[in-house]
Amino acid sequence: MIRVNGLTKVYGSGDAAVHALRGVDLEIPEGDFVAIMGPSGSGKSTFLSILGCLERPSSGDYYLDGRDVNSLEDDELADLRNKKLGFVFQSFNLLPRHNVLRNVEMPLIYAGVPSDERRKRAQELLEQVGLGHRLTHKPAELSGGEQQRVAIARALANNPLVIFADEPTGNLDTKSSLEIMEIFQQMHRAGRTIVLVTHEPDIAAYARRVIHFRDGKIVREETK
Amino acid sequence: MMNFADLVQIVWENLRAHRLRAVLTTIGIAIGIAGVIAVVAVGQGGQAVIISEIEKMGSSLYFDISPDYMRGETADSNTFSIEDPTIIKELSPAVDKMAAITLGPMVDVRLPSSDKKTIMASLYGTNPDLIHIMNLSLEKGRFITDLDVTSHSRVVVIDAGLAEDLFPKEDPLGKKIFVQDTPLTVVGVLEKAPSSMMDMFNVRSLYSPITQAQDMLNTKVINQLCGTAVSEEALPQAISDSIKILESRHSSVSNHYVGTTLEEQLEMVGKVTSILTTVIGAVAGIALLVGGVGVMNIMLVAVTERTREIGLLKALGARRRDIMQQFLGEAVALCLLGGLIGMVVGIGGAFAIALAAHWPPLISVWTVLLAIGFSVIIGIFFGLYPASRAASLSPAEALRHL
Repeated sequence: MIRVNGLTKVYGSGDAAVHALRGVDLEIPEGDFVAIMGPSGSGKSTFLSILGCLERPSSGDYYLDGRDVNSLEDDELADLRNKKLGFVFQSFNLLPRHNVLRNVEMPLIYAGVPSDERRKRAQELLEQVGLGHRLTHKPAELSGGEQQRVAIARALANNPLVIFADEPTGNLDTKSSLEIMEIFQQMHRAGRTIVLVTHEPDIAAYARRVIHFRDGKIVREETK
Repeated sequence: MMNFADLVQIVWENLRAHRLRAVLTTIGIAIGIAGVIAVVAVGQGGQAVIISEIEKMGSSLYFDISPDYMRGETADSNTFSIEDPTIIKELSPAVDKMAAITLGPMVDVRLPSSDKKTIMASLYGTNPDLIHIMNLSLEKGRFITDLDVTSHSRVVVIDAGLAEDLFPKEDPLGKKIFVQDTPLTVVGVLEKAPSSMMDMFNVRSLYSPITQAQDMLNTKVINQLCGTAVSEEALPQAISDSIKILESRHSSVSNHYVGTTLEEQLEMVGKVTSILTTVIGAVAGIALLVGGVGVMNIMLVAVTERTREIGLLKALGARRRDIMQQFLGEAVALCLLGGLIGMVVGIGGAFAIALAAHWPPLISVWTVLLAIGFSVIIGIFFGLYPASRAASLSPAEALRHL
């Protein structure tokens, strides 16, 4: 479902150029659970953000669900992110001025889902992650683990094909981390494709495949 | 695509988080809109009052002759003479009544008993015809007579306001008052004009024989002649006759005579008030401009502060247009809020000024709609740049922003 060939990414130009990716080839079939590991600066986050259509590669091919991503316009990419992709970030990235329900509703609003249906869907998702009783709270009133669960509910809003998670447990204590990884495991069992970046072996151990990055390249891959 | 109700809700939730900032940002717009509404309302109310006052003062037959003020000319002791009205009436069949006026704009009036409390009033030195020309009516007593004029009689006719001020409980007829320290006998009291403009400015008027007034004011200057024509058709004839006669009688005088009808006076009032309205409106417009720049500034701050958030919204599937809408929506909401505050303050201010000045505030629906519409346009204009800056951020870059 995801296929990249010869993917490179260069930031800046001339002497100041930074080669974040130096030719990456990878295929991720539907339903896979992939962990990407590597030291900081190895290009793993850049890779995730290209897979997530948040930025474009400098060269190379990227096919997502059969579509040539490089050929898409910005608005088409926005649509793709909205309907096919879900994101979970290290720092949760919830909207601080809106309540929990509104945060989960956001992708549904952009998708044009009518408000009744939207609210119902957001409530269901929040109940699934165990936050059905916190709908009207502001993000700041929740613990880190709870905030990340809101973010997961939001990522699932439009029932996406793939979930991209960038160090989702990086800001959490051990107990919350386990809870969050439990949810990821459930999603995987339910057939969702997951791509997760981490530098913690414990977290990577949840994945079916672990891919190691170094200096902008894949250096090693393990499969369970 | 976001629908309008969602947009309104999201904008509201965002602005509510920074209530103080939002309100402070709107102050400039509020002042501008309040200014526009108040100025227009007070201006139109004032204009309506002045026009109705002028209309009340004379019929359509009214005209006056004065030196050409537009060229900076003023009357001197040779411009008019006391005999002019009589001679013009004799020579021109078009002229019906005519009076000369020597004006003492601010004279001290007091009772003989007290030398402390004085009242400021306008003294009209004139002759008997003025009562007909100005449509004045007497409540009691008599007006000035020809004999009063020839014999420099020390008599005075006072208006209702002055009668109330000086003689709240007594009959003023036959009483003495001191005008510029000259004792005069009250021989007549004018009827109270309903809601007279002179009343609302607290301007009191009194009328004396022109000869006596000139003695008191120590002048030989007559400020203007005023009169009525025999018919509306004869009005141009009456004016041109009067000017011709004056020019031949005062051939040594260098100034030009100008005749003005009531209609022309009304036009002039219209011109003056519209110039005033424009000038003050322009000041209010500058306040709006400054307010708009303030909104733009705050929106640029918001875009910088919320860069990461914009990146996130893009990751969630917001298109360029969605981000534009949201930030433009916030700018418009700020301006609209300012506009509404300004509207309330402006209407309140117009009523307060009108109450103090005793004239009706004329707040037209159009002024209000225009002001509100204008504040929305300001919001769009000054919100466009910050919003497009927000919308053009790349999602990955915006997310990396701290």
